[in-house]
Amino acid sequence: MLPVVLVALWLGTWAWALLITLLSIYGFKEFARATGLYRERLFVLAVYLAMIAANALAYLGRFGLFTVLPMWGVALLTLVPIVRNKTEGMLQDFALSVLGVVYFGWFLAHLTFLAIWDGGLGLVLYVVLATQLNDVVAFLFGRLFGRRHWTALSPNKTVEGSLGALVFGIGFAFVNWQLAFPQLPWWGVLGLGVIVGAGGQIGDLTLANFKRNVGVKDFGDLLPGHGGILDRLNSLTLVAPVAFHFVRFFFDGFP
Amino acid sequence: MSDNSITPTPNEPRAFSYAPMPDVGLPIRDRLGQYPRVPDITFDALRTVARWTAVGLTKLQFRIEVRGDEPSGDRVALVANHQSHLDSLVVLASLSERRRREIACLAAKDYFFEKTSLALASSLFAMAVAFDRTRYTELRRWTRILREQRRGTLLVYPSGSRRRSEAHDAILFVLASSGWTIVPVAIAGSAQAWPIGRALWRPFRRIRITFGPQLSATPTRDLGGVLASFWSANT
Repeated sequence: MLPVVLVALWLGTWAWALLITLLSIYGFKEFARATGLYRERLFVLAVYLAMIAANALAYLGRFGLFTVLPMWGVALLTLVPIVRNKTEGMLQDFALSVLGVVYFGWFLAHLTFLAIWDGGLGLVLYVVLATQLNDVVAFLFGRLFGRRHWTALSPNKTVEGSLGALVFGIGFAFVNWQLAFPQLPWWGVLGLGVIVGAGGQIGDLTLANFKRNVGVKDFGDLLPGHGGILDRLNSLTLVAPVAFHFVRFFFDGFP
Repeated sequence: MSDNSITPTPNEPRAFSYAPMPDVGLPIRDRLGQYPRVPDITFDALRTVARWTAVGLTKLQFRIEVRGDEPSGDRVALVANHQSHLDSLVVLASLSERRRREIACLAAKDYFFEKTSLALASSLFAMAVAFDRTRYTELRRWTRILREQRRGTLLVYPSGSRRRSEAHDAILFVLASSGWTIVPVAIAGSAQAWPIGRALWRPFRRIRITFGPQLSATPTRDLGGVLASFWSANT
């Protein structure tokens, strides 16, 4: 996936916004197919629409509208049971669709918003690369030093692997400090490192939890050996908005 | 005063229950080739656009003459002779949009669904579904599928290949025993429009499609002979 990410960033923010929109839609499609929500086309189409809107607003830099987008998305979803004139299973489908709008759509659209900031390219690259490497480091540390398992959500996770990933996230942030986000003070870099190191693992566990609830091993099989798109984006989904709002709140770096 | 007399629902524990789509976990080329097709917003939309494009280009490039009445009925198997890659597109172009939307063209899995690119082209443009001729249980599987279907249109080439002319009796037996209406279709001129072995087709040729009468009263053992006569009389 890395070449696709780099090409999109090289082409410009429009290509990046398009890529994030497509990834969100495809990721949600995998989720909807795994849960069975996909049978309710109107819910799925409403979520797609909210995802397109979220990325369009992020691309245009309309922060106010972008922030309230989940409200409009959920408002749109409330119409679906009325249009369908049906009650059976609607609560579950509605809840899953809200998750789609907020977690898979709005959360991921923060990656588009990160890219439009002056100097945001470094931040985007750091968040994407560090999150992906974080998974690899957690796996490697777990294999090499892992002794103590610590969560039922993903039984292969070990304390040693998770701590290794956290340390790596912080270290990677400091190594790239001057290159990726020179305007941040040391504690800002530390904060970003913790967000990636810990947030990535929380995002990973969240999706693992979803998969265990639904009863699937992977959400898809688009990427051989890695599962589906959602299986690759699991960490990024949570890290992107948290990193965005951390930088915006403390450093006011966004429009 | 508000009316609180609504009958309460039984006080039983309710949990979310998930029913994944039946093709979750299958590779894309298998998902494209399955029959009955599992609803998929992306594939359905792409199939509509591709079908319109393919039919539009076919009608633009070839003079298609249609003889006989378009078949009617809920479960119809169009059984055609096969001479060219154009055959399916020409049959699609001669049908109504409603039939085109639901039609599935039986295609060899080991040829059309081995590569994802070819599977995409076959499934989206020519409405192909996979028939695994290498599995000896395939006919039994199709018998079960066809018996369960309440509605559908199939396009079948019982010769199995553009290089053969005689029909395989087994697939005809499956269609007949499943209760589907068999309609013979003769395609004439497609072999000249896109001959076997040529990389490109020859546009502006005349192609004739003849829909024959339904073969519902024909005994199953005679189907092969009746079809052969129909095809030789109309090609």
